[in-house]
Amino acid sequence: MSSLCFYVSSITNAMRGKEILEKNGIRAHISRLADENIKNGCGYCVFVYSDFDEAEEILRSSGIRIRGTKKMNDAE
Amino acid sequence: MKSGRLYNTVYFDNAATTWPKPAQVREAVSRALTIYGANPGRSGYQMSLSTSAKVYRCRELAAEFFNLADPSKVVFVQNCTMALNIVIKGLLRFGGRVVVSDLEHNAVMRPLYAISPKNPVFDVAAVYPGDIKRTLESFEKCIRPDTRAIVCLHASNVFGVRLPIREIGKLARKYGLAFVVDAAQSAGVAPIDMQADCIDYLCVPGHKGLYGPMGIGMLLCNSERVLPTIFEGGTGSFSTDLQQPADLPDRYESGTVNTPGILGLAAGIEFIKTRGINTIAREEMELTAYIYNQLAEMDRVSLYTPKPDLSWSVPVLSFNIKGKNSEEVAEALSKKGIAVRAGLHCAPAAHRKYGTLNTGTVRIAPSVFTTIKDARYLCSVIREIEKDN
Repeated sequence: MSSLCFYVSSITNAMRGKEILEKNGIRAHISRLADENIKNGCGYCVFVYSDFDEAEEILRSSGIRIRGTKKMNDAE
Repeated sequence: MKSGRLYNTVYFDNAATTWPKPAQVREAVSRALTIYGANPGRSGYQMSLSTSAKVYRCRELAAEFFNLADPSKVVFVQNCTMALNIVIKGLLRFGGRVVVSDLEHNAVMRPLYAISPKNPVFDVAAVYPGDIKRTLESFEKCIRPDTRAIVCLHASNVFGVRLPIREIGKLARKYGLAFVVDAAQSAGVAPIDMQADCIDYLCVPGHKGLYGPMGIGMLLCNSERVLPTIFEGGTGSFSTDLQQPADLPDRYESGTVNTPGILGLAAGIEFIKTRGINTIAREEMELTAYIYNQLAEMDRVSLYTPKPDLSWSVPVLSFNIKGKNSEEVAEALSKKGIAVRAGLHCAPAAHRKYGTLNTGTVRIAPSVFTTIKDARYLCSVIREIEKDN
């Protein structure tokens, strides 16, 4: 199963993103940011496992600033 | 525990801080120290994420309680005073003035004074208790071309007078001003709707009507303004950037947050929601009105407002006994196991308005834990003190 990680700047944004996604029926979980390509350091990821485009649209329309995305596969 | 009998105290100092705290608040604080003990928003291990989720839940509860759409705009601060400092000093950093009421607490007046001690940056509007039209006219007359905001309390911490914030908010909106409300004495006993009341910034203590612990307060931001900060530091975000983040809540929330306070506050808000804010207000006002009626029958007692009524006040009452200093009365009450606060209550403006600046007043404020038995006892002791020459 693949997943998509949305990088956000803070835990509050991550929590808010997760809540909004789950209210829209999209399962999500949060983990600490670990991507050297994301500038400024620190931050969190919101992972989703389906509905990638819809999830991104929901997050953006809710005013959550997405600092980057990364698609991941099971093996990663 | 009913009415705080632990120290054989009948507690009427709830305007200073509510006591006792509900059992669920005490338990939540304990859980913060035992289960949710990690630093939220800094790490990725389970306890840190679980603690973060609890902190975020409090933001959600507060946003819902005050009708703010975005929980991330709930900023945790040390207390209501800190929230007011952040907003007032942020709004006036580059000049301008504000309109305040003639009932303000020093939490508003001292930051304003500090901005410009020699040339006041505020204009004072008179409040006419229960008379919305005259009060609004007074606020409108104070608006000048360089006015940036209306900053006012929702309810007087001394006399219980409640301001018509919905109408004042609409006035602020009409003139394009920021509207800042100090809800120190009203949050938890008077409904506040940030959208309908046109409030841009709501400053709230956690430890009064919301029944949380001391040391936690909130600044709720219903504005897209990015105000200059009065303190900066680590936020767990944008760490390589020396500039303070613009995102809320991080912009005003540097350093580790008060997790025990926040979790306790969340339990306090749940407690209010379960009981119902209107029920709480009605019950407390019934007690306040009972006390008022009893005091009104005592020859040497001075009261300063009409009989309190939810249409224009919150359940807070001030009185004096002729020929006695307010502190002397409070001391006499203390000897009988009754806790009240006397003096100026950090609100010299309100005392000036009511002619009590030199004497102070004795303040009574019930909570949800106050009983009619407590009120009867209070009145009986005041009657004894009044008759004692």
